[in-house]
Amino acid sequence: MNREILLGLVLLAVAPLVASGPRGTVPKAAANRYPSHAEKDSVSVGAALLTSDEVRKTFVSEVNRCCVVVEVALYPPKDKPQPVSLDDFAVRVMGSETAVKPSSAKVVAASIQKSAESQRDVTVSPSVGVGHESGTYVDPVTGARTSGHGTYTEVGVAVGIGEPGSHSGSSERDRDTMQTELSEKGLPEGTASAPVAGYLYFPLTKKKNTTLQLECALNGNKVVLTLP
Amino acid sequence: MAARVLLLITLLFSPPMLLCAIPQQASTTVQQESAVSAVSASSKQAGEQAPAAAKTDDKVQKDAKSPQKIHVRLGTISFGFGYSYFSGPYYYPYRLYGFYPYGLGYPVVFCDPLWCAPASLLSPAYSGSLAYAADKGEVKLTADPKTAEVYIDGAYAGTADHLKTMWLDSGAYDLSVSAKGRKEFRQRIYILSRKSLKILARLEPEKEPDAVGETEVKP
Repeated sequence: MNREILLGLVLLAVAPLVASGPRGTVPKAAANRYPSHAEKDSVSVGAALLTSDEVRKTFVSEVNRCCVVVEVALYPPKDKPQPVSLDDFAVRVMGSETAVKPSSAKVVAASIQKSAESQRDVTVSPSVGVGHESGTYVDPVTGARTSGHGTYTEVGVAVGIGEPGSHSGSSERDRDTMQTELSEKGLPEGTASAPVAGYLYFPLTKKKNTTLQLECALNGNKVVLTLP
Repeated sequence: MAARVLLLITLLFSPPMLLCAIPQQASTTVQQESAVSAVSASSKQAGEQAPAAAKTDDKVQKDAKSPQKIHVRLGTISFGFGYSYFSGPYYYPYRLYGFYPYGLGYPVVFCDPLWCAPASLLSPAYSGSLAYAADKGEVKLTADPKTAEVYIDGAYAGTADHLKTMWLDSGAYDLSVSAKGRKEFRQRIYILSRKSLKILARLEPEKEPDAVGETEVKP
């Protein structure tokens, strides 16, 4: 009985940690389902570079503003859990000497918020009005009853200038939300005994006609995947 | 009488124009955002070419000096038509200014719907905690069947046909839509202020207990 209570208490203590931790994405059936894949020491890895359009559809946060997003999936052998860490990954522009490590969700969210803070919305609203009026009145000079009519037009333009920081994603609360989203969709760190997948956020901009390479260290062995 | 006709005409024209203007604004904003991101991207590309040591200093200086980026978007376009008839003993010149759109339809039509639109004109769902506020985000929910029950973080929010548009505070929520005889739809949603999210919840019929067969695994 006491053992059951103890187990229940442990589960209660662990539950929030598990619930709040990163969840990643659902890994595909096999690594070869990803555009780039490799296997080393019976550990398979698959990767896919997301286009700007895919990033826009996948994330509410405007990740395109700061980062290149790569979906990575790891398939460890059943009897050998695989440690997963962001430090094990890097992206390099093919032919370049410098590689970029992925940023944490916190850093990416802060970067997006900073970018949003510097934006100011200006709204331009045009308006057009046309009116016609007719009637009779007594002329105060002659005393005669006179009829008159007129057509009138109105044209207006209103310009509304929003305050800095009024853009979506600029508030502290938005930053927390973005961090939550990026963290929950990011590649889960820790020890994986089953296939895991998630997104990595690399703080660089992909130029046209350049090819990126994903480098990952699997149990000390370097694996290079070319991202199409 | 004529003034009433004028008012009526203006008000008749106003709500449809207001509603038409909303998607126009949204699309304009998205396009401009992508343009700005392209600008920021190109500026970052330029920064990458600099040596690593100097890059940090340059970035700090650039951040300090960088002017604010401006998003220009088209607001509501309003049109007004009016007719009035006057009849009086004396001439009143000011009356000849005639139709004055700013006094009639203008406050209704001209308001930016994201900031000051009258709630009753935009959606019937604008009540209670799901009501519009400037710092909230919009959820446009389309569900099949329309009578499905909507739950946000496990709490009942209403039926889908009454929750086509919801405004939620910035944050992450667990949205679920359920109906009798249908599979439950679940989705984790992230809401940012002043941003719109479209969700299509199509609830598939539950399989009969006897018809247990293949299980669909979504990658």
